[in-house]
Amino acid sequence: MSGTKRYLRLLAALARYSLAREMAFRGNFIARISVEVIWLGILLLFYRVVFQKTSVVAEWSEFEYLFFVGCFYALGGVIETLFLDNCNTFADLIRSGDLDFFLLRPIDEQFMVTCRSIDWATVPNIFLGGGLMVLALVMLDRPIETEQVIAFVLTFVCGVALSYSFLVLLMSTSVWLVRNQSLYELWWLFTSLMRYPREIWRGSWALPLGFFFTFVVPAMVVVSVPSSAMVKVLEPRLTGFTVVVTVLLLWASRRFFRFALRRYRSASS
Amino acid sequence: MSSNTLSVAPRAAAKLRKYLRIYRVSLTERLVYRGDFFLSTILRFLPMVTTILLWQAIFAGAEEDTIAGFSQRQMIAYLLLVHVSRMFSSMPGLAYGIARDIREGTLKKYLLQPLDMLGFLLSYRAAHKTAYIATTSIPYGVLFFFCRDYLSAIPTPSVQLVAAYVASLLLAFVIGFAFEAGLGMIGFWFLEISSLMYVINTVNFFVSGQMFPLDLLPSWLSVPLKALPFQYLAYFPSAVLVGKIQGAAVWHGLLAATVWAGVFVLLARSLYRLGLRRYSAYGG
Repeated sequence: MSGTKRYLRLLAALARYSLAREMAFRGNFIARISVEVIWLGILLLFYRVVFQKTSVVAEWSEFEYLFFVGCFYALGGVIETLFLDNCNTFADLIRSGDLDFFLLRPIDEQFMVTCRSIDWATVPNIFLGGGLMVLALVMLDRPIETEQVIAFVLTFVCGVALSYSFLVLLMSTSVWLVRNQSLYELWWLFTSLMRYPREIWRGSWALPLGFFFTFVVPAMVVVSVPSSAMVKVLEPRLTGFTVVVTVLLLWASRRFFRFALRRYRSASS
Repeated sequence: MSSNTLSVAPRAAAKLRKYLRIYRVSLTERLVYRGDFFLSTILRFLPMVTTILLWQAIFAGAEEDTIAGFSQRQMIAYLLLVHVSRMFSSMPGLAYGIARDIREGTLKKYLLQPLDMLGFLLSYRAAHKTAYIATTSIPYGVLFFFCRDYLSAIPTPSVQLVAAYVASLLLAFVIGFAFEAGLGMIGFWFLEISSLMYVINTVNFFVSGQMFPLDLLPSWLSVPLKALPFQYLAYFPSAVLVGKIQGAAVWHGLLAATVWAGVFVLLARSLYRLGLRRYSAYGG
């Protein structure tokens, strides 16, 4: 227990330090927030245009879809705030050999590598996404059951944990690949599996691929399952699967990270 | 007079050899990180697949067969071709690299050597584009083969149209390069341009028609957007091949793109000259 407390205190201290650093470049901070707002504006404009031509997209009505977009935005916001920037610098730590300094500290390596700074500029995304979800629920004007809310919160947390695990897996490959490309780009490409409802994966070739990315590489459950639980159908079996696969993937990603660390050869002099 | 004429040719050849060598070195450098290159190439197909599926779902629910004049097959063909346009016009990290050279003082390497910075960067980018296009041509070929049904929406192009398409792609490369290089020159006046680049790249994704064809937008937005140069980075080449821009409009578009390319090249050059006057070669 004291260990958890220690890490929470450490996280709070790192968050304070990150905020102080971010505030040293306020212009940059404001510009980054405006990008997120602009991007959300573009997305909303796109879906407004689409829903002027159609009433449903893969069985999702306009406001159900709006909830989905909000959920994706909020979940992405959590990942970007807590982990993405940290994981992105892992390749540089490998290439330069600076990872040595992290390994020498009396702190868990995975915590140090993936949680050492908070990206405050993406915190508004969580609220923007949250706001969209609330707006969608108001516009839908449907009664919400308690079990829907519980399933949503549970699977949203699972979604964050699953995304984190994927990020750790992707990041750990840097030990072998000596990455040149930015993890940001790879992550953006990978999240295209989460960006749309899984119901779009229909048809002869897409259905088996959709099955693969739901049950083998479970990227498509990350946003689809919590959103669906809240505004469409609560599927207990899929919810249960999401929880189980989250635990498994968290464990597997940690094992893989430690395996990658064992293959790491310091590059410093 | 005659000796001058004689010395011009070998000098031009030597210059060309110099930039060709830069091209070769850059090509080799690019292939060093082939593992990562391969992984990112595979992942790069995911958004294409999901975009196809999204548009299939949109058309499946739509009340009409066409959206803004695009049939389902034309829409997907357009979105596939946009990737080809961006293959030529996107210049990741170019502006940021120039600004970093200015900030850290490493720009002086171009000043101390008989090397023109824009020429060097153009060779470097051309090499990266060649490596990228060469290594992705096989996976793209496979993807396009699987999507041949959508691509059949493209009317059989005439020789002139193919030539216009190729010209539009080359112009997309030049506009993309000169625009990004010009943005990088802002580094002479501002210490940090990465936040500005975030904003520009985000807006560019939309205004260049990379996200969806500009025709989908209401006319109060699509008309001014088509007057901007950014459509030549993605929208124009794809719309030409899909047959959404036809006849004289193709040649007018190419002319406008050439003018814009010239404007951006001149702008980048002028900003570089102006900037050098302020440059203090900071750093060891």
